[in-house]
Amino acid sequence: MVSATPLEQANQLHQSGDFAAAASAYEAILQQGGPRASIYYNLGNSYQSLKKYGPAILAYERARVIDPRDPDLLANLALARKAVAVVEDVTIHPWVHAVVHYLSRNEWSWIVAGAALTLGGLGLACGVVRLPRRFSFAAAILASLLLGLGAGVLYLRKGESTHGVVLSENAAVRISPFEKADSIGTAAQGRVVKMGAKRGDFQYVEVPGSSLQGWLAAKDLARVLSP
Amino acid sequence: MQSLMRALAAFILLTHLSAAAEIQAQLDRESVPAGNGALLTVRIEGRAQPPVIPAVPNLIVNSRGQSTQMQMVNGMTSVSTTYTYAVGSNAPGDYVIPPIEAMVGNQKVASQPLKLKVLDSGAAQPPAGMAPTPPGMPQAAEEESGDAGEKRFGFLTVELADSERNHVYVGEIAPVRIRAWLPADSRANLRSGIQPEGKAFTLHNVSDQPQQTQEMRDGKRYLVVTWFGGISATKAGKFPASLSVNATVAVRDASAPKQPRRRMGGPFDDPFFDSVFDQMNAPMIQKDVTLKSDDQEIEVRALPTEGRPAGFTGAVGEFKFDRAEIPNRWKTGEPQQITAQLSGSGNFALMNAPELSPADPWKTYPGKDQFSAGDQASFSGSKLFRFSAVPRKGGAQEVSLAFSYFDPAKESYETIRSPVQKIEVTGEDLVEVETAAAPVVKEPEKKAAGLVGQHREMSRSGSLVPLVSRPEFPRILSLAGALGVLGGILAAWRNHRANPERLARRALEKATRQALDLAVRSAAAGEVSAYFGAARLALQHQLSGLWNQPAQAITLAEVQARLAPDSPVARFFQEADRHEYSRQGTGEVLPQWRALFDDAMASITPPTR
Repeated sequence: MVSATPLEQANQLHQSGDFAAAASAYEAILQQGGPRASIYYNLGNSYQSLKKYGPAILAYERARVIDPRDPDLLANLALARKAVAVVEDVTIHPWVHAVVHYLSRNEWSWIVAGAALTLGGLGLACGVVRLPRRFSFAAAILASLLLGLGAGVLYLRKGESTHGVVLSENAAVRISPFEKADSIGTAAQGRVVKMGAKRGDFQYVEVPGSSLQGWLAAKDLARVLSP
Repeated sequence: MQSLMRALAAFILLTHLSAAAEIQAQLDRESVPAGNGALLTVRIEGRAQPPVIPAVPNLIVNSRGQSTQMQMVNGMTSVSTTYTYAVGSNAPGDYVIPPIEAMVGNQKVASQPLKLKVLDSGAAQPPAGMAPTPPGMPQAAEEESGDAGEKRFGFLTVELADSERNHVYVGEIAPVRIRAWLPADSRANLRSGIQPEGKAFTLHNVSDQPQQTQEMRDGKRYLVVTWFGGISATKAGKFPASLSVNATVAVRDASAPKQPRRRMGGPFDDPFFDSVFDQMNAPMIQKDVTLKSDDQEIEVRALPTEGRPAGFTGAVGEFKFDRAEIPNRWKTGEPQQITAQLSGSGNFALMNAPELSPADPWKTYPGKDQFSAGDQASFSGSKLFRFSAVPRKGGAQEVSLAFSYFDPAKESYETIRSPVQKIEVTGEDLVEVETAAAPVVKEPEKKAAGLVGQHREMSRSGSLVPLVSRPEFPRILSLAGALGVLGGILAAWRNHRANPERLARRALEKATRQALDLAVRSAAAGEVSAYFGAARLALQHQLSGLWNQPAQAITLAEVQARLAPDSPVARFFQEADRHEYSRQGTGEVLPQWRALFDDAMASITPPTR
């Protein structure tokens, strides 16, 4: 008899409706096996079934960092956002946004690195042997275009390394990093915010698309890129 | 002139005297219960630094603001600043506040020490002995006057933008107008965003740039700052829609003692204008306040169950189809994408994709949507839906897209449809096959509606840190740059090696060397004719490089045309021609010939660097 894998066991827990245990099992798989888009996706589903939309959106966002084109993931992320009335902040033209986010930042990074290495390799090859002029010109143009496009996209998305997700409902944004400091507003659960400096138990955040910025309790949010 | 100077000196002296330094400290009461505060006012005559309140163990001193008064009476200017503090303690006992010191110019002034008795918090504050409110200290009165005092610094009002309604529906984002009413001659600085006081309502999309107007209300002129936003509620009932905003507001203190106005004559020297000038001369007092709206109740109505369409998914507002794109040709079991765009106004966050009508022959999958705001507050706009559908029945069909919403203005459900479209579906019906083949999976009861199921395959391990944020990335770029630079160096070296001028020069040098070697060997062998022939050839090679001509084309005539006839080169060419035509084959190569040849070579060989 073949024993069930950890993923199968976690999926069975989810299927049986024990979403909390399933979430713990998925967390354990991530701890042991490192980041995997499918596990983050399943984890997000378990949290969403528990109506914990903040952790669910965090898990989906992490899955999206690795696999940005998974249609199931995008559908469930949209459902979670709808549940907490959170809209993705799109500051550029939707068409440009679609192109820029079609690939992950990691994939764009590899395109830039590959294009740069291709240009360097072409330079070296031209120094050593006589390449066909038409071929080397076309390859250099293509590599330069990819390099410029990739660098531009990485520049547009450079702020994503500071993104965090609000985990708690009605998390108070305070004017100072103290528990008793005045609240200047609340950040919605599942809202993606830009994280700044950390002081004590508080993290400075800016809520994109609004003028709200202040200090949020560190326990109320988590950075997308550092699990 | 002297009298004018004396008058000016007297004026300066008087002005200086008028600014004589003085400090007065006063508590508004002699005793307070523990945990409460008395009001300490420190009034300093003259331009001074803020006073230093001495530290007293267990005594808490909190600054409550300051005000400055400047008056000119009979040409004398006096400036006084009043600092206000709340003083109290949690520990009962008798406290003595040592003299409070301040620097006025270079002069140090100090007040009298003050006594404060802090009573046990259970004891009532003795009415007797309470110091009267000092003149010029409106804060004390204001502190005790509660809401009325707070409203002196301004207040908020919140009202539904649609004046004909006093209710909202669950899920509806109702536009509201939020107004901050500030005294007309005040200065205000908002320290926070607007936020709801309770949890019944959520505030959305408050405009970033409020409008400012001047308005009259209850006979008073106000500076009115207006924002637009939306409120929504998730449960039915009557709830107070109270909002607040933190602000620092400075208003004129109408209760400050008024100085008699000096009668100077002129059109405004009438008692009628006294109130105007009193108002202008009144000192400003500043305070950190929370501007609140009254707890105006707004009724939140549940969406009616009667007449609710089957396809209703929670959209509240008013919408219409902008476009609907359904492919004309389908095959059963094969998905294709449907695109629809709806526009209007309402709660777009609760808006789901329209459904195919009739819905039975179709299986649809959640897709993507994209909202484009039509205004700054995102009340209006359009939402684009893209989703996949699979036909389960073959044959010609008529389909359209249907979308249901609740219209709060009409207070009824509405269902809108896109134009009916004829499509052709090829293939066998799949309904029965799917039903029979589908594995029976027990769906969890609590599973969120519409959630796509779990992934059963473990995807490959990835990294949450993109390459661009890893230390390898700059190394890869450096490597690429180094490769490019190395390639450039190699290419430059190769071009240098293949340079035709360089190659020609090297060939010339080689030929010259060979001719010189032959000349040396011929001289050693006593072959005069061969010596002159080789030596002349060496000169020809050198000259060909200089004159850019073939070596064979450089004859005696050419040399004499370009150089002086008595130059060493011309003379050597003459000697060489003479020996060639004399047919003297052997003999000694005379030293003067060698010297002449050396001179000729030296005269046309560029100096080495």
